[in-house]
Amino acid sequence: MICIDNLSVNYGGVVALNSLTLNITEDVVGLIGPNGAGKTTMTNAFSGFAPIASGKIVIDDMNLLELPAYKRARWGLARSFQKVQIVNDLRVQDHLLAVIDAKGIDRKKRVWWIDKVLDFVGIADCRDTLGAELNSYRKRMTEIAKCLIGNPKVILLDEPGGGLSESEMQHLRSIISNTKTVFGAQIIMVDHDIDLIRDVCESTAVLDFGKLIAFGPTSEVLQDEAVKVAYLGR
Amino acid sequence: MTRQFALPITVFVFSLLALPLLLSALWVKVVTSAVIFSLAAAGISVLFAQLGLINLAQVALIGLGGWVALRLNYGTAIPFTVIVFMAGTTTALIGAILALPALRMRGLYLALVTLMAAGAFQILFNAFQFPNGGSGFWGVAQQSAAEIRLPLLANSDVAYLRYTIVIVALCFCLVAMHRITAPGRAWAMIRQSEANAMAAGVNVTFYKIWAFVLSGFMAGVAGGLLSGALGQLDARSFLAADGILLFALAVVGGVYSWLGALIAGLLFKLLPAVFNNIGLSADLAMVLFGAALLHAIITAPRGIAGQLLVAFSRKSP
Repeated sequence: MICIDNLSVNYGGVVALNSLTLNITEDVVGLIGPNGAGKTTMTNAFSGFAPIASGKIVIDDMNLLELPAYKRARWGLARSFQKVQIVNDLRVQDHLLAVIDAKGIDRKKRVWWIDKVLDFVGIADCRDTLGAELNSYRKRMTEIAKCLIGNPKVILLDEPGGGLSESEMQHLRSIISNTKTVFGAQIIMVDHDIDLIRDVCESTAVLDFGKLIAFGPTSEVLQDEAVKVAYLGR
Repeated sequence: MTRQFALPITVFVFSLLALPLLLSALWVKVVTSAVIFSLAAAGISVLFAQLGLINLAQVALIGLGGWVALRLNYGTAIPFTVIVFMAGTTTALIGAILALPALRMRGLYLALVTLMAAGAFQILFNAFQFPNGGSGFWGVAQQSAAEIRLPLLANSDVAYLRYTIVIVALCFCLVAMHRITAPGRAWAMIRQSEANAMAAGVNVTFYKIWAFVLSGFMAGVAGGLLSGALGQLDARSFLAADGILLFALAVVGGVYSWLGALIAGLLFKLLPAVFNNIGLSADLAMVLFGAALLHAIITAPRGIAGQLLVAFSRKSP
């Protein structure tokens, strides 16, 4: 269970997140809101890249905010970025090895992990391909594979569906839906694609101007009047 | 895989066995210096290619390594090779201090900080000079330099060139090992973005400092080797401006491979001597370096080495 308690983030005078309180028990949770609502700020608060003014993020009795950024990853927080972070002159395998190194996974289990995550995301054939030679879909899959190494507890996906075709989206949906069963991680997903959110997220939180304006089962939230107003500006 | 090793091994074997026999006494000394500066250039390349960090203080760090080596050589009975290693580790520790501003800065600002550090070393070298066998901590006496101990197997200039080539090759292997193992992968993540590296669990602070430590180690070993090659060191050889020149030549040579560092060392030490020898002004080399730097920045980001390696891989089937 993820407990976000009274979390505030300020950038100078700008309040990016305003006393956010949210308890997440579902396997896959969506996070939506108009531009500038605080979605990326929230993922950054999890990762340790945002200036926290107050509050806590407690996962399995551990206050995440007490750990330095890189130790959060070792503890079990993984994330993907809106702009994929693939190094041009590094092979897919080496991207995964970098995470394996950082998490201190046993040498003997390296190959096992690489096989497992690459099979899961369906790009086992490009293990030795350089980052520069991957298409955008394969880059995205490499990014997700990186997140799955070492059984993380929580995975944050920042717009994983950006720029994917319909068939690729279908594949992404199945990956996201199966992650909890195969790897045991809870997923928090930020996306603008309401169809994707509706298909894979049991619950969805809606942010607007740094405040939580709705949280609940996805279908109900998407029918909420306040949410429609925030999104459509009525 | 085998072809990957073919060129470095050929160059190593040729320079170890044949090269010293082909050179006259004067050129043996020049080439020894050139190989030593290649090692320092390799340190610059590690920082620039792996992390995009500019270090203009590398020549000053060679001076520091040289100072430590001379000091230990006159003051203790430690074997020469161990002294070279100790000069490397001491300089690596100082290199780690240089890394502290790099944790906060990059680009031009970091370059300026390293240049200031190089300037400070230049002043210190001028004020205290290099040990020449005198007494006291600074070890400087008004006398011509006393003899220093050399490695047992390398008491002639030719043998010392071979000794240098072996040590430099070992250090190049050390860099290559870093590139293909955990540090290389961590550096690649940091190069992409620090947020990306931290999100993957990479300890960014540690690996940035580690890169400076490795780079400083190379400079220190180079300094130790230089002390043995020349027998004495002169404060005027370690100017801050030379640090800028060596950095520029590392870029011209190519920061992404060992060959680039080798070319940088040869340009830095050998080319001016060649010009002198054929009756041209050594300053002409500077003009050439400027043009070469423009060429590298505009058309050959991987440097001369990059162009050579592409040509080499096309030739061999």
